Amino acid sequence: MAEIKKSTIVIPEVTRVEGHSAVTVDILDGKVENVKLDVFEGTRYFEKIVVGHKYDEMAHLTSRICAICSTGHVLASIFAIENLLGYKADEKTTLLRELMHLGMIIESHATHLCALVLPDFLGVEDLISFADKHKEEFALWTFLRTLGNDVQYMVGGRSFHPVNLHVFKLSSHPSGEALNVMAHRLKDAREKALYLAQVFLDLKLPAIPSFEPEYLALDYDSPTYGYFGTRVKSSKSWLRSIEEYRDYLGEYPVAYSHAKKSGNAAQPFMVGAIARLRFHSEKLGREARQLFLSSELAKGSCNTMLNNLAQSIELVEAVYRAQAICETLLQIEEDEKASPGEARNENETNIDRLLDKLPGAAVGAVECPRGTLYHYYDLDEKGVVRAADLITPSAQNTQRIESDIRNTVEARIAEVEDGARQALLQADLETLVRAYDPCNTCATHAVSIRVAKR
Amino acid sequence: MSAAAGSGTNHLPTIAVEGLTGCAGELLVILENLDKLLPFVRVVRFPFAQSKNEGGAVDITFVEGSVSQKHDLEKLKRIRANTRWLVAVGNCAVWGCVQKGALCKCKAAEMIEAVYGSAASSIAAEAMDAAPLDSHVAVDVKLSGCPINASQFLAVTASLLRDHLPYIVSKPVCLECKLRENPCVLIEDNLPCLGPVTAAGCGALCPSMGAACYGCFGPCEEPQIGAMTTILKEKGYEMEEVLGRLTAFGAVIPMGEKWQK
Repeated sequence: MAEIKKSTIVIPEVTRVEGHSAVTVDILDGKVENVKLDVFEGTRYFEKIVVGHKYDEMAHLTSRICAICSTGHVLASIFAIENLLGYKADEKTTLLRELMHLGMIIESHATHLCALVLPDFLGVEDLISFADKHKEEFALWTFLRTLGNDVQYMVGGRSFHPVNLHVFKLSSHPSGEALNVMAHRLKDAREKALYLAQVFLDLKLPAIPSFEPEYLALDYDSPTYGYFGTRVKSSKSWLRSIEEYRDYLGEYPVAYSHAKKSGNAAQPFMVGAIARLRFHSEKLGREARQLFLSSELAKGSCNTMLNNLAQSIELVEAVYRAQAICETLLQIEEDEKASPGEARNENETNIDRLLDKLPGAAVGAVECPRGTLYHYYDLDEKGVVRAADLITPSAQNTQRIESDIRNTVEARIAEVEDGARQALLQADLETLVRAYDPCNTCATHAVSIRVAKR
Repeated sequence: MSAAAGSGTNHLPTIAVEGLTGCAGELLVILENLDKLLPFVRVVRFPFAQSKNEGGAVDITFVEGSVSQKHDLEKLKRIRANTRWLVAVGNCAVWGCVQKGALCKCKAAEMIEAVYGSAASSIAAEAMDAAPLDSHVAVDVKLSGCPINASQFLAVTASLLRDHLPYIVSKPVCLECKLRENPCVLIEDNLPCLGPVTAAGCGALCPSMGAACYGCFGPCEEPQIGAMTTILKEKGYEMEEVLGRLTAFGAVIPMGEKWQK
């Protein structure tokens, strides 16, 4: 009988992801025994940090969970509190919030795609060689990232950790001149966004043996492709209110990781760009829709690596949609000038009367770059937080990442104990984890495989 | 990188960018401004942004995040041993930010239990009370902000590349606010503005947009906590809420202690 071999693949720190994470794969006698995605980002207990603070502090406090998706946390907290108070923001506020969110989508997708993912396919390992040898791609990233940042700067006052978005309102509105300049910059950016999507459409992807996960994404009535909603749609054809998130997600902490995870082992969830496109591709504008239809995504492929392409399609759509919003806002401004007095006072918020609804609890959700983000708050009669629950997209994706790693190692088990091929497998595993765009600060860098024999 | 390309930058001063426990905001600010630095420095470590990272001695290391677990502390000690200048960047590294702020109302163990339930014990073994870098090692430069101001970051770096320590002032936000000729949101709008006790550097961002400063750069020099609380009480804010706002962004020690006196 052959000797029983026990090996372990360890990726001590996955680089070029947001936050700190490690991957461990235990292999016993040619079979994968255990896969662990270990998020070793220090614990920060945000659910406790917010307790004792007033409702209007939630946007600023929860923004600090993560810089890249700070706008998402700000909006989820605002939506939760407005849902609780039964408040519906006016058209202008809603459009500015969407514009802010699109700024985040453009910045986050551009940074993930150009700076974190592309180096794998270009074969560069450090920034200097990326900046030096691939000037065009580096410039593309700088351009798109700056654009997304400047949209957020214009609306939110900062490119992340915005200061201008609050429950009920914005404390100031961008000037007509600023909106006009931004509309033109967005129009000029179309070509670059389309070029980036074409790069990802043409990439040869490593085959990841994935099986179909349960896709989840927010559902909404808006006729345009969006990121806000109060219902969740599943690929298992159910539709539920986000208020029921505990029932359908079931987040639980795991002993080996500082991030919590969600889902059921039999069919892990996947949230993010692939899930959103699966449900809402018909709402895309012409250019983004054409890109979608010419891709494997339209054929229903569940290859995780396509998440990169899906994000590049969303980036195109975001550039077009953000321009349209700037133009709509300019139009609203024109109308207000034409008939002053009419527009303004309908939204004089009587905050005290709204706060009469307290105490109470509610949920708010947004589609962040990497998937659905939930915020839940329980407020006392003074509007002070008694309890909170925050469910991040990365937590929802953890099980699927683990199952993808398992499948990949199982399919390529012969490579585990073969030096050169082992290094290739490691690199592919990192590329795979990166495709999820895991944001482990919200929920976790070099790869080494350790083979232990007993 | 090929040997030929490498030799071209080998004479340059080296920098490293490291993150402990935080939101990665400073890593993002540095990444976004790296193109301005690349002609003058060689980036030897920046795991957030590149796969090829070297060990060994570094001229300047920028560290973001607070020390919140044993892993952070081990990493920080390694960083200190290998760097000439250690620059704490961001509120987390300088003051401890929101995770430090929370410690004035509740013990770390309670927080772990509340968030992680039954898995708490294994996490507790690794956890530490969130603290800024200088609670554990000597820090050469402290640049606060949440996030840091990119111009201040570039000025600090330029200064260190010239081999001298930068001069960082932390006057109150009010100073920048007055220079921008903003109406006072605290006096005129009764908003709970913390500008009088918060370090400037943001350009009085919030009050310039009609909102209250919430203290994200940490306390200014000699913060007048007594006067601040008196005004907020006069404006009708309850003591509980005032204390909550004052301590939220990590300035627990200078603010909390002064307030208690």
